Order: sequence, then C-alpha cells, then structure tokens
Amino acid sequence: MNALQQYGLLLALICGVIGLVLILFALARAIGRTQQEPGKNVPATAGMLSRDPVWVRYHARYYGYALLFLAFDMEMAFMYPWAVVYKQTGLVALLDMGVFLAILFLGLLYGWSQGAFRRQ
Amino acid sequence: MNTLVIVLSLLAGAYLVAVLEAWLATGRFRLAAPAWAAVALLGRESIVPRTPDRIFFETAPVLLLIAALLAAAVLPLSPSMVMANLATGALFVNAALAYVLVALLMAGWGSDSAYALVGGWRFLGQVIAYSMLIVMPITAVAMRAESLLTTDIVSSQEAVWNILYQPIGFVLFFVASMAVAFLPPFDLPIAVGDLAGGVEAEYTGVRLAVFRLGRMVLVITLAAATTVFYLGGWMGPVLPPWAWSAIKILAVSAAMLLGGYTLPRIREAHLLAWCWKLGIPLALINLFIVGVMVLIWP
Repeated sequence: MNALQQYGLLLALICGVIGLVLILFALARAIGRTQQEPGKNVPATAGMLSRDPVWVRYHARYYGYALLFLAFDMEMAFMYPWAVVYKQTGLVALLDMGVFLAILFLGLLYGWSQGAFRRQ
Repeated sequence: MNTLVIVLSLLAGAYLVAVLEAWLATGRFRLAAPAWAAVALLGRESIVPRTPDRIFFETAPVLLLIAALLAAAVLPLSPSMVMANLATGALFVNAALAYVLVALLMAGWGSDSAYALVGGWRFLGQVIAYSMLIVMPITAVAMRAESLLTTDIVSSQEAVWNILYQPIGFVLFFVASMAVAFLPPFDLPIAVGDLAGGVEAEYTGVRLAVFRLGRMVLVITLAAATTVFYLGGWMGPVLPPWAWSAIKILAVSAAMLLGGYTLPRIREAHLLAWCWKLGIPLALINLFIVGVMVLIWP
C-alpha cells in the first residue's frame, strides 16, 4: 500500500464509524422514540434550572502549567525528526539536543521557583 | 479483509474489557453483561438537554470512537496485520489521541450543563498533565528504532524488549495511558459521585452507548500501544504472532483496569503537580539515558 492508499483507508475508517453510529441510531429509533415531556430535558443541576447558560467564565486554575506546556509542546515538534536520525548522527545529536533540553529544563526550574506549578 | 479482521478483533477486545470492568464494578463475572447493557441502552430514551450546542453534543461520542480507532489503525498485531503502516506511525498515534481531549471538551460544552462543563475543563487540565508523558517516552522509543514506523519499532526490540531497555519510559507511558483513557484513579472528567457523571452526565440511551463503546476501544488501543512500544509487540516463542499480541494487549488492559480500582481518585491539582514536578524531569532523564545507551549498546 502506498501512502495515498493508507490515508484513503483511514478516511474509509472514519466513514465506517459514522455509518456504524447511524445504524445504531436507527436501531434505537426502531425500538422506540423519545417522548417529549416538560421538565425531562433539564440538565443535572441538583434539581434547579440554571437561569443563564453555563458557558460562562471558568477559572482555569492550571494556567501556569498551560503556559509552560506550550513551550514543551513546541519542543516536541523538533524531537521527532531528531529521534529518527539520532543514531546516525551520534554524539553530536546528543549534545545538540542536550543543550536545547537543558535550556528548556532551566525554564521549567525557573517557572517552578516563581510559583507557576501551583493551583492559582 | 485484513482491516475487517483487525477492526473485529479490536471490538472483541473492547467487549472483553467491558466484561472485566463490569466484573470489577459489580463483583460478579458475567460474560453477557456488556451485551445486555448495550441492548438496555439502545432501548432507553436518548434525551437531549434543553439548550444544547447541538453540533458539539452529537459529534462528541462519535469523535471519541473515531480517535480511538484511528490510533489503533497504525498499531500492528503481527508483521502483516496492520491497517495502515504509516511512515509517521508513532507520531500519528499522538495526533489521534489528541482528539480524545477535543471529544471530551465537546461533550462537556455541548450539553450546557454545569457538571458536564466542569468535567470538560478538568480534562483539559489532565491533558496538560499527562500529554508530555505520552510524547517524550515515545520519542525515546523512536530513538532506539531509528524510525517512526510501528513495525520497525517492534522489530527493534528483537534482542531486549523496551520494558527492560527503558523501564522509566514504560512506567511513565503506562500511567499516562491510564490518564488518557480516564480510568480510575484518573477518572476526573466523569468523576462518579463527585460530578454526577461529568461529561457523561447528559448522555443517555444510544448516545451514551456510543460514548461507552468509544472509551472501551480507547482502553484497548492504549494497551495495544503499550504492547507495541514496550512489550515487543507480536514477539514470543511457540504461539503465532497474533496470539502473542492478543495475550499481551489483554494483559496490559487488565493491568490498567485493576491497577486503578483500589486507589482513591487523584485531585486535578495533585495530578498536575506530580506530572510536572516528578514526571517530566523523569521523562527527560529517560531521554538522556536512552540517548547514551543507544550509542553504546543498541
């Protein structure tokens, strides 16, 4: 299989899953329909109907981690091609990436010292 | 044909995981339990909450199933039994697993319910905790294999399996996999008894059935990934390759389920702190150790 066929297969998998789900929905529909009754569709909020939509501000208390996560996630984009050619390139590759990771790790330590790793 | 066999065996594996989970939850071993549960769910009403974000609400369960299946598509069960042996296989596993987050956040947002939304945001925090511990160990595996092809990764473990070659990476990847599949003690987004079901709270009937199926397939996928990356994939004496894959995958998924069920649920703040203060330094040390070892003793 060449690369194009492989991606075609993955696309077919997605379509297959959607098809399966549609069949399940049709099966459930055939067994019985949902009765529309008042009060049935209230979301689970301890019996109280919330006045506003719940899509309001949520305090993401992990934002300190999230900022550092961005730096680490970008770094990973470089790591994959590096990992593949690592053994050919040898010691130089270890030093190159070692310096890069050391700087990143110092950043992590600095963030830690400044209280980034805390529930804000 | 090959694809069909693999998909069916994945579904069979997911069924066995569901049997095991029901056994753990109820204390009774019943082989038919998941089938009856599925029939019951299909027979129930599937209620849509009153002000949903309809597109997100409907997409979420399907997307979870798709993400799990796409990640499984690049993992080999034997040298020839792989759906799509992509040249970027190990990276593709990550890319597909990233959509687990999207699916759960959609499920939380879509139902416009406070508990569900809190579950969704919590899972975002969980992703920030575990995701580096998935990615960095996989890089170390790719360094040894000199390739991102999953079949090459398995054959690179001919002499010594990666579980012995890079044990730190294995432990990190195993724990992080449990967090990806939100198995206890990392079941923060659904948190039964705490968030009233969290992201699952507003799903009923057939939609909940799809959601649960997606999660079971996800468990099997992650067990398969652990097997391929660390346990030598299809390798083993006497038995045919596919049988070894099946044994290892089922053993790993059983270990994932059993490992967590006796532990109390971890708090999100603690999970983040453990992963960043201990997990990521360990993952970097693992990269360094593997880097030196690959040069000295491949």
